[in-house]
Amino acid sequence: MARAVSTRRKLIVTLLAWTIGIAIFFPILWTVLTSFKTEAEAIASPPSLFFFDWTTENYAAVQSRSNYGLHFSNSVIISLGSTLLGLLIAIPAAWSMAFVPGKWTKDILMWMLSTKMLPPVGVLIPIYLMFRDTGLLDSRLGLVIVLTLINLPIIVWMLYTYFKEIPVDILEAARMDGAALWSEIIYVLTPMAVPGIASTLLLNVILAWNEAFWTLNLTAAKAAPLTAFIASYSSPEGLFYAKLSAASTMAIAPILILGWFSQKQLVRGLTFGAVK
Amino acid sequence: MITTSTPAATQRPIRLFRNKAAKIAAIPMILTAVVVFMGGTIWTIVFSFTKSKLLPKANFIGLDQYDRLWSSSKWGIAIENLLIYGICSLIFSLVIGFVLAALLDQKIRFENTFRSIMLYPFALSFIVTGLVWQWILNPDFGIQKVVRSMGWESFSFDPLNNQEIVIYGILIAGLWQGTGLIMCLMLAGLRGIDEDIWKAARVDGIPAWKTYIFIVIPMMRAVFVTTLVIIASGIVKLYDLVVAQTSGGPGIASEVPAKYVYDAMFLSQNLGQGFAGSTMMLLAVLIVLIPWAYMEFGGRQRD
Repeated sequence: MARAVSTRRKLIVTLLAWTIGIAIFFPILWTVLTSFKTEAEAIASPPSLFFFDWTTENYAAVQSRSNYGLHFSNSVIISLGSTLLGLLIAIPAAWSMAFVPGKWTKDILMWMLSTKMLPPVGVLIPIYLMFRDTGLLDSRLGLVIVLTLINLPIIVWMLYTYFKEIPVDILEAARMDGAALWSEIIYVLTPMAVPGIASTLLLNVILAWNEAFWTLNLTAAKAAPLTAFIASYSSPEGLFYAKLSAASTMAIAPILILGWFSQKQLVRGLTFGAVK
Repeated sequence: MITTSTPAATQRPIRLFRNKAAKIAAIPMILTAVVVFMGGTIWTIVFSFTKSKLLPKANFIGLDQYDRLWSSSKWGIAIENLLIYGICSLIFSLVIGFVLAALLDQKIRFENTFRSIMLYPFALSFIVTGLVWQWILNPDFGIQKVVRSMGWESFSFDPLNNQEIVIYGILIAGLWQGTGLIMCLMLAGLRGIDEDIWKAARVDGIPAWKTYIFIVIPMMRAVFVTTLVIIASGIVKLYDLVVAQTSGGPGIASEVPAKYVYDAMFLSQNLGQGFAGSTMMLLAVLIVLIPWAYMEFGGRQRD
């Protein structure tokens, strides 16, 4: 990319981009800052940005009102569980579509992706009733199953695009050396696709972590993840903004930290492998 | 024939076996998709013609549920809101996302950090997004208050309490959450454009904006298709953002179809209405989807 751009213009563009970036980031920063304020300071006018008495009382209050640990572990189990289960189903499927394409492969892919565009309410009631009858309501297992199903199209699609980039020759060479089909997938394909699988994993953990429609509708208390935890703060205590901020911060912190340490995979994952 | 038969004979069993294995490998995925999406959807459509209340019962009453649905003002508002949100979010996401990507394509400093910041909102759930923006748009402490305290006393910006424009308040939050991802996808598309095309355009003296519109954008077709799928799936699942930001209020001014279905099912225990609402949404998506899919993939046989 050696496009000639003058230094002055570059400076202006950089400044402009950063102004936008800060504006975009501001709501997150503000939420985190407010969580350390007292309720009075949170709604003080004019609001102070950094110069206030930092306090952690909101976190203590949130923790005593609801069990953060339980919701956190629910979130971890549900998002990791559904992603791993999804990968287990998707890797063979993506392998078959990428390396042994049949007449219908393209159609299946498109049809599968298009289910992502169908409104989830369309299947909410049958799933709810099935879950009620099988006792899966408000259980982690139930949510793992549902989120696997919901995110499966994306997982398959992403893996398919990554697998497509792997030269078939290498797999064929392994086959010539007498590798069986399953060892071909496990020992040759999977290690080569690790970056792609990592991005897929990361993206789907985040998607599952943030999924609210299903988690709000299918859980009550026991299996409620962080999204349900934070939603419980929205209505009855709508005016306690410092506590609300503390709860929000606790809900988003794991993702923000995870995102910071895995920026590269995250960007790759979020852009479906388009950015490397 | 004779000369090629030897390698073919050894190859064929392997080929056959591999094809079979490939089919078997794809079965779990296809099964789950078929059972859940198709099964669930058809079940919903069938029961939308029944008088189900608390439990799904197969006493068919024809189109009564649809009559009631369309005579409900709440449903009307929900549909109108979804239309406004859908059209605006489609246009603004694409335009803002593309402009930002073009801006970022100038090789600015700290590009990676900037890109991560732009993606952060997407990593937050709609629930958190809704709550944060409920607060920012709150007239007593949010934008309105800050601008007023800077001296512009008559400034008024209170979308969440105004029935007329509440859906735009939700739209702002939705755009904040989603545009960063669109930008990244567009940027990836722009980076995929061969540098020589830019050089050629410059040699020919074509201004930059013309190059973007007439050369670059048509070349980014695949990226636009991906972004369209993502934006569309965001529109049809609009629910959590509304619940967190306004709970459908003030009054019923920011109701959306997904929330209508949810309310019918869990609050007023009127399953039939919920089924009818879901079916209408499915129908609406299909009406949009089928012509598009036809245009996009129908002519594929030619190449």
